Formats: sequence, structure tokens, C-alpha cells
Amino acid sequence: MFSISDLAAWFADPVHWDGRYGLWFLLLEHVAITLAALLLAAIVALPVGLAIGHTGRGEFLVIGLGSISRAVPMMGLLFALVLLWGVQLRDFSLLVALAAIAIPPLLAGTFAGVTTIPWGIRDSAKAQGMTGFQRIRYVEFPLATSSIIGGFRIAFIQVVSTVVLAPLVGLGGLGFGIIQGLALRNYSQVVASSLVIIVITILGSELLGFVQRRTADRLSAPHP
Amino acid sequence: MEWFFANASFVAGLALTHLSIVIIPVVLGSILAIAGARLVRARWVPGTTTVLSAVYAIPSLALFVALPALIGTPFIGPTNVVIALTVYAVASMFFSARDAFSQVPSSTKTTATALGMSRFQLFVHVELPMAVPGLISGLRVVSASTVSMAAIGAVVGVRNLGYLFLDGFQRRIPEEIVTGLVAVFVIAMAFDLGLWLLGRALTPWRTRGGERV
Repeated sequence: MFSISDLAAWFADPVHWDGRYGLWFLLLEHVAITLAALLLAAIVALPVGLAIGHTGRGEFLVIGLGSISRAVPMMGLLFALVLLWGVQLRDFSLLVALAAIAIPPLLAGTFAGVTTIPWGIRDSAKAQGMTGFQRIRYVEFPLATSSIIGGFRIAFIQVVSTVVLAPLVGLGGLGFGIIQGLALRNYSQVVASSLVIIVITILGSELLGFVQRRTADRLSAPHP
Repeated sequence: MEWFFANASFVAGLALTHLSIVIIPVVLGSILAIAGARLVRARWVPGTTTVLSAVYAIPSLALFVALPALIGTPFIGPTNVVIALTVYAVASMFFSARDAFSQVPSSTKTTATALGMSRFQLFVHVELPMAVPGLISGLRVVSASTVSMAAIGAVVGVRNLGYLFLDGFQRRIPEEIVTGLVAVFVIAMAFDLGLWLLGRALTPWRTRGGERV
């Protein structure tokens, strides 16, 4: 069935690391898909989040999207989009589904970052005669960065775990080993793949958490 | 809609399985997290926080299939899914519960202690009721994400609403996938509504006379 020595042997075999479905390629693919989806989501969510935070209008959109998206199973969303746009466009469908998953937390992080800036700071920027755009560019966006990175961390967690499901619609990524291994009852492959996924997700999330704390410290510290 | 009406009893059966998979993690996970948030000693909090936030980041499918290697449960079937969802519920609820308890004013706690309340009485009669709004909003997050995450259990052979996604995709029936999406959403919203009503019932002083105190 499954044993630790089988698992070690599986990892030790170079066949499982090289080639199109080797761990290295799948890992690279997993990371690339995740980053592309986060980038796509950021292009949409950052300007919208900054605008909503700046004007104070549209808060319901941020909160509503946040609570609705939690109740929508990502797996169903991905499958529906792939079926809707056809299997040929499945890379595109995957990217859109992943961006849709990443947008609500990014939007919430950006919005919260702007609205939690003390009113005194935003008002003094206004009193200096800064235009709306200048305030966003030089005051609100820089001060919101820590919260935005926090939004990226949540979005990263959601996206990375959805990419694991990509092999179910015929795409790659580290989930491949789990799906193929389950089908073939090759449980060493299943466990090995899941361990790699667990390690990279925790590393990525901790890295983003670390950057977020550093940014928060830098923002709150008095200038040297 | 046609597909749904033709298969209503099938969908109802899957929904029932879905509910049975979700109920233990939500209830047990929340109780464990609330107790943990109150009982974990201050010096253990940073360590607990680190572990729980790392656990929270693990993709659900990866955790479903890693558990058999760790605790020897079968690869296929509901056991891993229930355990993994409970772990996620604890990880998510622990933070909400800590926030909820930390928002109880310390002057209130001091007053209660000065009135001669024991620590247990303080917890049951003061801290818990005053933390209800925060606890309920945490529970709403936990229940919604547990209901939607449980669907992934279908990949490891749990016949819940997630099965509609796998089957609908393989047989190219978009209506089946949409039915699954709507059904999961409806169950999640039902939990949400129930918790909101529970929160109102538990904090009558917040809504008395339409005036929030």
C-alpha cells in the first residue's frame, strides 16, 4: 500500500524529477501559472481597490465579493469555465478562473490598506494641495503596501491550491502526481507530490508573510 | 434547470452527503478553536500562530492525500476529508476567536472579577457573550469556506456535491456543473443565515428597540 521507504525510493529515482511530467517541470509550471494569475488579478484589483478606498464609494462591492467568493467552490468555477470556452482554450480558462479567485482578497487588502490610513495623514495630503492622483500615488498607495501584500498572501494561498486541481481538466502543475497517482493507485507518487506542494505553499506563504511584516515595520518606524 | 429537475433526487442525495461531511468540521473545529483561543498560554501563542497559519496555507487536495501517510487512514473515502476540513476550521477560527476575545474591554473583565466572579463564571457569563459578534463573524467565514472546500473531497472518492463537477466535466454537461455550483452556494448561504440569526438571538441587547448599544 504505502510505506516511508517506498516514498524515499520514489524521491531518489531521477526518473521522477526529469522530463515533461517530472517534479522540476511541474514545479516550474505550477509557480508560473500561479504568478501569471496573481499578476492578471493585480492589474484589475489594485486600481479598483485604490479607487474604492480613495473615494470611499463602492465598499459594498469589496465586502460582497469577499463573502460571495468564499461560498463558491473554486473547483466548480474552473470546470465550468473550461467547459464553457472549450477544451482548446483551457489554459486561458484556467488563468481567468484563477484571477477570479485572486481578485476578492487582493481587492479587500488594497481597500483595507487605504481606509485604515489615519484620517490626519490623508487630510494633510489634501491640505498640501495634492491632487487626487498625487494623493493616491504618493500617500495612499505607499502606506497601503503592507495590507496589499497581506492580500497577495491570501490570494496566493487560494490560487496555489486551485492550481493543484488543474490536472483534472487536462492541465499540468504539481497536482498531476496526485491525480495520476490516485488513478494508478501509486500512493508513493501521490504522497510525494503532495509533500512537494505542501512545502512550496508554506514557503511561499511564509515569504509573503515575512515581507508583509517587514513592510509594516518600515511604515510604522520613524525615519532614521 | 431541466437537468436539475430530471435529477433532483440524485442531487438531494449528494447534498445530504455534503452536509454530513461538513457538519463535523464546522462544529468540532469551532469548539476546538474557541477553547484553544482561550486556553493556550500567552507564551505559546506565537508558536501556535505560526503552525496554524502554515497549516492554513496547505492546499486541501494535498492535505487530503498526505494524511494517510501521516496517520494511516485510507487514501480514498471521507475520513481524511473530515479530518482535513476540521484542521482548516481550527486554523481559521483560532484567529477570529482570539480577536473576538481580545475585544472584550478589560475594564468589564475587571469589574466582573471585582464582583466576585470565578474565572469560569467570567468566561461563561461575561467573555463568551461579549465575544459573540466576533465569534459569529468568524464562524460565518469558516462555514462558507468549509462547505465550498468539501467539494474537492469528490476527487478522493467522496460522493458529495463536488461529484457533480467531476461527472459534469467528464460527460460534458454544463448544467450539471452549474447545479453543483448553485447547490454549494445555497448550502453555504443557509449556514450563513442560520449563524446570523443565532448571533442575533444570542445578543438581544444589541438589537433591543432597534437601537444598537
